[in-house]
Amino acid sequence: MDRITRLGGRSARRFRLGLAWVLVPCIFVFDTVTNYEIAGAVFYLVAILLAVGLLSTRGVIIMAGLCVGLTLLSLAMTPRGNWNVGLINAGISIAAIGITTFLAIRILVAEAAANNARVQLTRIARITSLGALTTSIAHEINQPLTAIVTSGHAGLRWLEQEPADLDKVRRNLDRIVADAKRASDVIARVRTLARGGVSIKERVNLQDVVADTLDLAQADLRRNAVEVDIDIDANLPDVMADRVQLQQVLSNLILNATEALKTESAQRRNVEIRARAGTHDEIVVSVKDNGSGVRPEMLDQMFDPFFTTKAAGIGMGLTITRSIVEAHGGQIWAHPNDPRGACFYFSLPTKDSSAA
Amino acid sequence: MNSNPSEVVQDAGIVYIVDDDASVGEALADLLGAAGLEARLFSSAQDFLQSTRPDVPSCLVLDVRMPGMTGLDLQRQLIALDLTLPTIFITAHGDVQTSVRAMKAGAIEFLIKPFGDQDLLDAVRAGLAKDSSDRREASTIAALRERYASLDAREKEILTGLVSGLLNKQVAGELGISEITVKVRRGQIMKKMQADSFADLVRMMETLRRT
Repeated sequence: MDRITRLGGRSARRFRLGLAWVLVPCIFVFDTVTNYEIAGAVFYLVAILLAVGLLSTRGVIIMAGLCVGLTLLSLAMTPRGNWNVGLINAGISIAAIGITTFLAIRILVAEAAANNARVQLTRIARITSLGALTTSIAHEINQPLTAIVTSGHAGLRWLEQEPADLDKVRRNLDRIVADAKRASDVIARVRTLARGGVSIKERVNLQDVVADTLDLAQADLRRNAVEVDIDIDANLPDVMADRVQLQQVLSNLILNATEALKTESAQRRNVEIRARAGTHDEIVVSVKDNGSGVRPEMLDQMFDPFFTTKAAGIGMGLTITRSIVEAHGGQIWAHPNDPRGACFYFSLPTKDSSAA
Repeated sequence: MNSNPSEVVQDAGIVYIVDDDASVGEALADLLGAAGLEARLFSSAQDFLQSTRPDVPSCLVLDVRMPGMTGLDLQRQLIALDLTLPTIFITAHGDVQTSVRAMKAGAIEFLIKPFGDQDLLDAVRAGLAKDSSDRREASTIAALRERYASLDAREKEILTGLVSGLLNKQVAGELGISEITVKVRRGQIMKKMQADSFADLVRMMETLRRT
């Protein structure tokens, strides 16, 4: 959220930086033409503070150095007034510039560290949710491998019989080919998922994305005996979105729903995925479960970083989910489900309005 | 790899395979078929429970992870129904906790997918052998029970006394009958129980008491 607002103000940043660079010569002129008694040079602080956060640390130091130099130059060039007062004023100005620059740089460094930590956490959360999927992916790949190895052994045995039973050998070879294809399909899906990183927007059919996501989550859903109902309006227009990120949004919500259903008896573990056209050029997708649900007072906090109800969670899943949805120009929200469980909604614009 | 003739001849029995993955199940059935074993395939634990199974030595090849009833659930259910079969678990994950639980509940093998054919066949053959010896023992015990039931109350009293190590005279004293009667009755007991010797009789009683 924070990041997006900042990115959105790109022209504001340019304006601030421009202002800083215009201010510097103005202050120089003002400081030079006025008497020694007027400490015009302290206004350099304004320019430096404007530039902080827009220039690199080195850039800020260079600017401060320039300001100090100009202050001294003004001192030499100022035609009127008391030289001693001018000297003191210049000294105070230079000290103020030095102290301000030092403090500003410290803030910059701290901010950079905080930013780094945030990037790192996003990556960790991504790895964590991938980790949860890994078990299910490993199972998905191991099944066809087992079938291949076993069919291979069976085929060899039929071949070694006297006389060899070629029909049965062929049957096993056919199964090996089919299972190898099955394993490579799983790998292809995982690679699409892992490519992540750079956002590539394309026309995406929601039905396909839901189907792909469910394919990947299938083993996990089946293991937890979760029934999934899908209700997607076939006439929905395509959305401009990053397919992989959209899969991540869906799989995060499905993963959360599955977690919430673990406390329920196996007969009533149900997840419903719906997609409808919204009121303004948008599609609204909902993921509804009849699990343990959310308390109303949690609804506002649960998208915040580090908010979690899970013992092993780090509370980044929904934060990432929200940042993806918002990067797509959509919104995400949740309601308690009636009579039990939770319902998560997210909207996606059908016209690509985000200039990003 | 090459199946020697004795391998093919010896196996009379049925191997039940329960795996929700059709491909894995079919491959397993095919492998067992190639090794001269009869295999029956079920795609879920429920299907297996509902099937009627002939009264022949058999064993179970069971997938751990299945939707609905898992392999471990099925094992528990079979134990509860007193339908224990030698069970070979197959699983994708070598998860220690699960394997310990399965082995504690009496599984004879826990194979990690993908596994070697000989490992599976060895386990299956061990399972079938165990089931046929279990069955033999069960029928021996049933016969013993029947013979014991044919004894009358007094004979049972005398038998208990004798087996506990008392002499004829002591048994007679304890039950208030003559030593001659005890000797005659002892002969009848041996005949009814089809015991070749007194030591044999003691062994039989030991077996009965154990079960």
